[in-house]
Amino acid sequence: MKKFLAAFLALAMIASLLPAALADGGLEPITLTVFRGDPGDQPDENNKIYKLIEEEFGIKFEFEFLAGDLDETLGLKIANEDYPDLFDGGNSADLIINNGALINLLDYISPEKTPRLWAHIEPQKARIIEKDAEGNDVLYIIPNYGLGEGEQIANEINGPAFFVQKQVLEWAGYPQIKTLNQYFDVLEKFLAANPTDENGSPYIGFDILCEDWRHFCLINPVQHLMGRPNDGEVLVDVSTPEYKTETFIDKPYAKAYYKKLNEEFHKGLISKDTFVMNYDQYIAQISSGTVLGMFDQTWDFGNATNALRTAKMDNKTYIALGLVYDPEYVDGKEIEEHYLNGSVPNIRRGFGISVNCKCPERIIAMWEEMLSEKWQLIFNWGIEGEDYYVENGRLLMTKEQFAQTQDSTWQKANKARAFFESSPKRQGWILEGEFAGNCWEPGNQPEIYFDQMTDYDKAFLSAYGYQKPADFVNPPIQLAPYGEAWQIDYTPVDIEHQDFLNIQDKRLPEMIMCDPAEFDAKWDAFVEEITPSATAFGDFMQQAILKEAAKVDPNVVLPE
Amino acid sequence: MSIVRNAQGKEIRAKNKGFFRTLFSQWQLMVMSVPMLLYVLLFNYGPMWGWVTAFQDYKPKLGMLGSKFVGLKNFEWLFTRQDFINSIRNTLAMSVINLVFGTVSSILLAILLNEVRNRGFKRTVQTVTYLPHFLSMVIVVGMAQNIFSSNGAVNALLMNLGLVREPVFFLGEGKYFWWLVGVINVWKEVGWNTIIYISAMTAIDPCLYEAASIDGAGRFHKIMNVTLPGIRSTFVILLIMNIGHLMEAGFEIQYLLGSSVVMDWSQTIDVFVLQYGISKQQYGVATAAGMFKSIVAIILLVSANAISRRLGEDTLI
Amino acid sequence: MTDMTKMSQGIARVNKKNKIGHDRVFPVVNTLILILLMIVTLYPVINTVAYSFNDGTDALRGNIGLWPRVFSLKAYESILSDNAVYQAAWISASKTVITTLLNLFWTSMLAFALSRREYVLRKFITTVMVLTMYVNAGLIPNYLLISRTLSLSKSYWVYIIPTMFSCFNMIVIRTYIGGLPDALVESARIDGAGDIRVFWQIIFPLCMPVLATVALFVAVGSWNSWFDTHLYNAGKKNLHSLQYLLKMKLATTQASANAAKSSAEALASTTQTTPVTIRCAITVISTVPILIVYPFLQKYFVTGMALGSVKG
Repeated sequence: MKKFLAAFLALAMIASLLPAALADGGLEPITLTVFRGDPGDQPDENNKIYKLIEEEFGIKFEFEFLAGDLDETLGLKIANEDYPDLFDGGNSADLIINNGALINLLDYISPEKTPRLWAHIEPQKARIIEKDAEGNDVLYIIPNYGLGEGEQIANEINGPAFFVQKQVLEWAGYPQIKTLNQYFDVLEKFLAANPTDENGSPYIGFDILCEDWRHFCLINPVQHLMGRPNDGEVLVDVSTPEYKTETFIDKPYAKAYYKKLNEEFHKGLISKDTFVMNYDQYIAQISSGTVLGMFDQTWDFGNATNALRTAKMDNKTYIALGLVYDPEYVDGKEIEEHYLNGSVPNIRRGFGISVNCKCPERIIAMWEEMLSEKWQLIFNWGIEGEDYYVENGRLLMTKEQFAQTQDSTWQKANKARAFFESSPKRQGWILEGEFAGNCWEPGNQPEIYFDQMTDYDKAFLSAYGYQKPADFVNPPIQLAPYGEAWQIDYTPVDIEHQDFLNIQDKRLPEMIMCDPAEFDAKWDAFVEEITPSATAFGDFMQQAILKEAAKVDPNVVLPE
Repeated sequence: MSIVRNAQGKEIRAKNKGFFRTLFSQWQLMVMSVPMLLYVLLFNYGPMWGWVTAFQDYKPKLGMLGSKFVGLKNFEWLFTRQDFINSIRNTLAMSVINLVFGTVSSILLAILLNEVRNRGFKRTVQTVTYLPHFLSMVIVVGMAQNIFSSNGAVNALLMNLGLVREPVFFLGEGKYFWWLVGVINVWKEVGWNTIIYISAMTAIDPCLYEAASIDGAGRFHKIMNVTLPGIRSTFVILLIMNIGHLMEAGFEIQYLLGSSVVMDWSQTIDVFVLQYGISKQQYGVATAAGMFKSIVAIILLVSANAISRRLGEDTLI
Repeated sequence: MTDMTKMSQGIARVNKKNKIGHDRVFPVVNTLILILLMIVTLYPVINTVAYSFNDGTDALRGNIGLWPRVFSLKAYESILSDNAVYQAAWISASKTVITTLLNLFWTSMLAFALSRREYVLRKFITTVMVLTMYVNAGLIPNYLLISRTLSLSKSYWVYIIPTMFSCFNMIVIRTYIGGLPDALVESARIDGAGDIRVFWQIIFPLCMPVLATVALFVAVGSWNSWFDTHLYNAGKKNLHSLQYLLKMKLATTQASANAAKSSAEALASTTQTTPVTIRCAITVISTVPILIVYPFLQKYFVTGMALGSVKG
């Protein structure tokens, strides 16, 4: 009995000492509330990565993910001043910043106090650090993505492009397709020779998805045909320090594109149904391998690509092409193609620390420590020997190990996605230390990347003499000083912008389907209808782009 | 002759007593009703101060007290926009179609079900027809889009029957949109809406059918003279309530079924508010639109109620 | 007792007479119409079930009819493998039961009070109640009332307290009570019963069909709601409702389908579920409990809960 008592007392003493020991290091255990501006899975109770975080930093998380409408949810949080400690406003972070929900991180970040965080943002600090209304330097959110190290990794186009089924190019003898006319030419010829697939389902020449926010498939192509990467809804002339900015949709060069679509509609390449179909129907069409081409962004139909692969229709998967206007459409000008842009810091995206947070120092200190190689490998690669292995200084995963990283059930127990995705992180190449020359992210590691490529794709690429899909387009250009224009907060002209979009959504399909004889008249009416909102939006964007560019380019003259 | 008895069963002539005396004698009815009165005053009327924001340039951060008053500017903004006016028209058109289609179809189904004598069959039909109510709108609209597309079942049928020469562009022409919404709503909700009429029919006294039979009435006569009068008050009350709801045509179905090419016919008030209200931080405008809807709803409701009273029918209030 | 026997005899007699009086054509036509209607309404339901049991990636191609093309349980597995689902189902079920009982209690009592023509507050209270169906203060004031003024957020009570009453249901019950013979109440009063006793002993038992209807409305509404969790309890894992969890599952699947992945990652993830099948599996999972409960309510929807005996 005595022995038992002694043991019990000893245990009790150890137990009572433990928190004290933790407190010595300033590590009183805390739970942080976290809001993510997008949907996500709650991690398992005993997720191994969160366990490690708790052990090392004494920090636990209570996650809230977005289930409803983002703006509505944020509006309620603002009205009630009910902010979580770590606050990710998703695509509407401007809303929480403008309402003063976040603290200025520059009060905590400096080259001395937080050397790693500083080194992380330093190369892009002109872009990332902003001025508030009083002219002070402020940083509310460290970008969650886009602060890559080393040479930009561009294996493929993940963003916008014109897509074509590989079988079309294969059938045509692997031609080089560089312009709008060449593109529709090869589609027309293929369709004429092969009106249906092997099962007798008719091929669709060209699909245009117009559903809701995915209308970029309809309204965005013109800027790329003019030789610029994705600037959203404006075209910027980057060759002069004036950065002349205009909405492109109401310009004669845009008319050329929609007139071309009108012709293709009457040639039967485009079907009426494309303008009313929803996303599921669009994915169904692509997944069944009957759509020859479309303008879209790679991620937007990733599931469909998977479906094609599982159905052993590799020849009906797509290759991204960087098309430009033929000289005949733009007064004989030769346009240089630029679909790939320099890597863009994801400004104002990721976690900010809210004004309600009681321990911003702890969070900053944690992030600082987490930018170490050790933690970045834990987040990206996992636990050595369990989730990946090292061979001759190379970080590697077996096919099975890599496959499980994509399984959402596995992720819940073994990945810290909910936290890591919105936290500052290192991307690109590991530049120093024992793993120099490896990639931070497994999916980009060359061994893994080429290991995953299918035999059909390898053969297809080698028929062109290429190694990777991105060889179809020019290498990335240098990022313009203003970044990419779609990142700009246009809240002040929100209403005009919505009108601007609505008119395009309504009129462009009408014009594509109309009688060719009426096209010119309809176009003129469209331009007249859209001019007020286009001007308001365009003028605002011109000012905003100059302001952004001035941060990086000293030659910019800001108008009074 | 209105006679009221208190708990002791003692008769009181209500007319002769003062209001409070009567009220006091009806304490049992008050116990049964006043708690819920207080409840709705708190939960439904309490937040009504929010209507102040209809006259403000409301900013959540500043709150109701700190936001700037702008008079009728929010209303002005709404009513000078052609697309808002359009959305009022669309809302009313679609809800009238829904009301007529919905009511007629569910009463019809209820009558047909009432005539089924086989209990098992009756239960099966009822269960099966209400099931689509639980499908999400996304699924139902997705199916409808397939059925009504150019190469869908409906067009195939019309072409085979020789009624049309080329496929009808059901989904891309505004003139069909309202009717499509009506058809889809009936398809999804007819069984569910029938439940209320079926439960009303349970209150019909079987002796009435018996008496009618003895008088030699046929099935049709019994439906007309017994069944329909039996659900009359339910019908009238639901009709009055739904007339008050004419400003609500929903937004999910329009949002899902609509596309930019039919925008001028598909946009309802709720869709408009969704697009231009909260998501553009125009909270004041959203409230103004909501307030406008409420006021119109109350006017419609009170008028319908008054007409019903004139006609000697049941009244809601 | 005697009333009851008389009543059941009455029903038997009526049924017999009706059967004899049938003309031959109508029942056949009626049956055919109802069968046709069943086919039309059953198709989307079976189609949804078929999709839910289909392989996710394959289902993207569409065109699945009444039977899965590539059978798979993956959609159900991915939803049900999460232990949180069971906790959430418990929350949902318990809040549904409590909300339904509270609703029936308050709503039917109020309906009775407002059905009494002699009640002096009748018109006032009815008007106040009815208007609640048509006026809406908007989201923000409601949210502030519940989470700030009443501090109900981050608690189980937010599922119960704000949903205890519905005017629509009250009106439905009131209309039903209005259809009952006045003599019922009058005769009870002569026996010396007060309003509360009249209601509980006489009216309430007679209202079973309409109470079953209202119970169904309330229960389905409560069972299917996710917005309350989203607004008030999203940050409280152990208070998540089932519908909220399912909604989140769908949203997550959709988001991951749209995530910008490297092609290597996309290639490795071919065994994933897709929004199409998840959506259907969710529908099935949340509808099955309702299907199970429904027959118990349905038995109250039988024609001829005769009141004739009382009248006679």
